Amino acid sequence: MFEKLIQKGLEKSAWLYHLNTGSCNGCDIELVSVITPRYDAERFGFKIAGSPRHADIIVVSGPITSQSRDRLIRTLAQVPDPKVVVSLGSCPRSCNVFNGSYCVEGPLDKYTPIDVAIAGCPPKPEAIMAGLVRAVEILKEKRRAMK
Amino acid sequence: MELLKRILYILLYPGLIYCVIGGLILAGIDRKLLARMQKRIGPPILQPFYDFFKLLGKETIVPRNAAKKAFLAAPVIGLISLITVSLFIPVFKFSPFSTYADLIVVIYLLTIPAVALIVGGSASGSPYAGVGISREMVAIISYELPMVVSLLAIAKKVGLALNNGVMTFSLSQIVEYQAQNGPLFTKLSIIPAFIAMLLVIPCKVGSLPFDIAEAEIEICEGPLVEYSGAPLAIFKLNHAIKMLVMTSLFVTLFLSGAGTGILAIDAVIQFILMLVVMFFSITLLKAITARLRVEQTLKFYWTYPTALAILSLILVYFGL
Repeated sequence: MFEKLIQKGLEKSAWLYHLNTGSCNGCDIELVSVITPRYDAERFGFKIAGSPRHADIIVVSGPITSQSRDRLIRTLAQVPDPKVVVSLGSCPRSCNVFNGSYCVEGPLDKYTPIDVAIAGCPPKPEAIMAGLVRAVEILKEKRRAMK
Repeated sequence: MELLKRILYILLYPGLIYCVIGGLILAGIDRKLLARMQKRIGPPILQPFYDFFKLLGKETIVPRNAAKKAFLAAPVIGLISLITVSLFIPVFKFSPFSTYADLIVVIYLLTIPAVALIVGGSASGSPYAGVGISREMVAIISYELPMVVSLLAIAKKVGLALNNGVMTFSLSQIVEYQAQNGPLFTKLSIIPAFIAMLLVIPCKVGSLPFDIAEAEIEICEGPLVEYSGAPLAIFKLNHAIKMLVMTSLFVTLFLSGAGTGILAIDAVIQFILMLVVMFFSITLLKAITARLRVEQTLKFYWTYPTALAILSLILVYFGL
């Protein structure tokens, strides 16, 4: 009985944790615009959580710099299961224009499997919303696999 | 038969089920109203239920340097004490567990959820939680004084009429006084206490201008920072029930009366009045203000609400 309610809950209330690993702030601003009155992601239950322990979806933006690599690994380990990793923008996938820099240790898939990748530099808020809705579907699948 | 009735009270109407469902619906309406005031569509009214069940389905992580038993027991203790408070608050003339001094029991039991938050936060062993619990202590010190003084004013006012001039701490006597003489907020001497109590509610439930302990942006929800899964769900539930209990207590203290005599109708009227109180004291204030600093909160509560409450007490002694 509870399993059905939990599935419904996962569908309707996914909390985001935004992790900036050396991003230029472009993607961060676009992510924040998703929770503003114009796009209002809260109507689908998305909420930005302050602590990785409360999160369901981890949104990673930025190429992984050497300073943030260790923090990235530790933060991802703190998120309770089921969890979904979303890469925001081009940087976490390919390091973008920062590729080859001495202080960049990306891309993200060296450290964790990526479930949803949102492309763009920066991606549009509509694209971010579409990516988050896809992430919720994967979240539900992961919960089913946990059982 | 008597025992069965008591069990029904504890489990069903003013107890567990009513608290959980009523509290979560109240929290959902609060979020919806807030969103509408910010020109957003907002989450559905059932959103707190979704959050609650989602958190039940998540993994529960206990940090390595946490005190495990206290960490897991704290939210449950808070929940139990809140449900117990709800049993003592009369709904118009219906009061399942009336005692001679419920008001004192209510004051003590209402402190326990805040203490549970402090215990849980300190057991989790996180520096963010450490900052959060010190702020929670400041919050307790600030709101307790005006709340107790305004309750004393009411106790004296009712005692002068019904208890030969001795203060009464019985909530059913307060309701009886209001049934005879009209709601307490219409009395001139009680109006300052009414305003003071309205200002105490947001700090007690930890809503925006006074949510110094659970500041989401500054200290990542303070004492809750290390919680995940089911204990976090219960803490979120506590937050919703605290809202229910405080508004219910407020309605009983100031807006009560004889009622209709039929429990179902009384309960609905009580809930509607609670929604009105919640709108003015929690939602409206949340939409139009930003967070105060710790010392600003303390300063605010020890000046205006305390002054209003003391004024009310003086007016009561002058017999107005």
